[in-house]
Amino acid sequence: MTIEQGGLLLVWGTLVGLDLVSMPQAMISRPLVAGALAGAMLGDLGTGLQLGVIFELFQYDILPMGAVRYPEYGPATVAAVGAAHASTGALGVALGVVVGLATGLLGGISIHFMRRANAWAVRRHSDALERGDVSVIVRLHVASMLRDAARAALVTGAGLALGAGVHALLVSGLAVRGAMVVAVAVTGASIAAGTVGILRLIGRGPDLRWFAAGLLGGAAGVWLR
Amino acid sequence: MKPSLGRCLLRLFTVQGSWNYERMLGIGFGVAEEPLLRGLSPEAYRTAMARGAHFFNAHPYLCGMAVGAAARAEHDGVPADQVERLRTALCGPLGSVGDRLVWAGWLPLNSGLALAGIALGMGWWAVVGFVALYNVGHVGLRWWALQAGWTHGLRVVDALRHPFLRRAGAFLAPAMAIATGAALPLTMGYLSGPFPGWARVLLAGAVGTGVLLLQWRRLGLTGIRLGLGFAAIGLIVGLVWR
Repeated sequence: MTIEQGGLLLVWGTLVGLDLVSMPQAMISRPLVAGALAGAMLGDLGTGLQLGVIFELFQYDILPMGAVRYPEYGPATVAAVGAAHASTGALGVALGVVVGLATGLLGGISIHFMRRANAWAVRRHSDALERGDVSVIVRLHVASMLRDAARAALVTGAGLALGAGVHALLVSGLAVRGAMVVAVAVTGASIAAGTVGILRLIGRGPDLRWFAAGLLGGAAGVWLR
Repeated sequence: MKPSLGRCLLRLFTVQGSWNYERMLGIGFGVAEEPLLRGLSPEAYRTAMARGAHFFNAHPYLCGMAVGAAARAEHDGVPADQVERLRTALCGPLGSVGDRLVWAGWLPLNSGLALAGIALGMGWWAVVGFVALYNVGHVGLRWWALQAGWTHGLRVVDALRHPFLRRAGAFLAPAMAIATGAALPLTMGYLSGPFPGWARVLLAGAVGTGVLLLQWRRLGLTGIRLGLGFAAIGLIVGLVWR
């Protein structure tokens, strides 16, 4: 990865991080989109799509309702693609997912602290807010979004740096077969998380029949291919 | 489009920008409502802004309905406590309707279609299609909600009974179930494609074990914890098995 490519990934990861909560929630933060574009930036769309699919399945584990705390998979997928690009095949997938999961965890924690920082800023200006001071209200809002942008940039940067470190560590330690085992383990975890998340969404009501019909259709598609 | 409604819509895209544990969407609500309050007298404008920035929480895409309704009520000279009650009363319904329609319907439907598209070899086009189709619904819902709120004011609950919302809910749930159901085996086929035979058997075992562990509620396992756990086990086995 060149410095220019690293810079592009950092910018992309920041935009993706902003999209998740702050703005505009157009779902470029979905791993499918974040991963595909990160892959395209590195000239490696295939890896971007593959990791995008893996993290999209992990994403099904999350329903972003109310004040629930969850991992942040957008910048994580960008960092994962950056890490995977340095290697090929199973090693790339293994590296990418390990880095992505750690970055996702870090992203989730950082969102929690940012929300606490936002609450602190709101408390500090509560008198002006009660007076209906428009400039303070707008300033608080803009400052919170800038905080989120800085947070997303930091998380993406940390993920990219982690990718470089883990790459140096794992490439020397893992044989091809070993890398395959890690890739299988994390891919299995993503499919399991996706399956359980989807089943939770569907519930035990009448939609389960539609789900079964889709499952049969998908299985037939796999068989025909 | 009235200029103030357009500006309000643009600001609604950032409504969660200052999300915090104290007022949740409150500050973003106030910022989005501001263009609609500009015609009020200076005193009424300031008190309405202060109310706008109070605690509020709802689904971000439907938040515009409350913003429009509250702004309309301020223009109609509705008493302050009634505006506050309106905002409080809308939190729950807008949250649950939005969660059901978007997070549990429209989003997984589009995501399932995109996953299936990638697995079937559509590549980049599946991703572009996902972003385009999803946002037609996303932007459309935001705009409809804002207009409905502004039009109905205090009677905004009428808009929540709109047949469109009922029909959308009735369509989205089965459509989402079919799309995600079809996506699962297709995605599994796509992801296992590069693995040799023994690794595919191992993958099937990992998936089965993962599903069982995640369903076992007493473990309190989440997807990311399962992923990190499996990665750790895989790394140990991979480093030993040379």
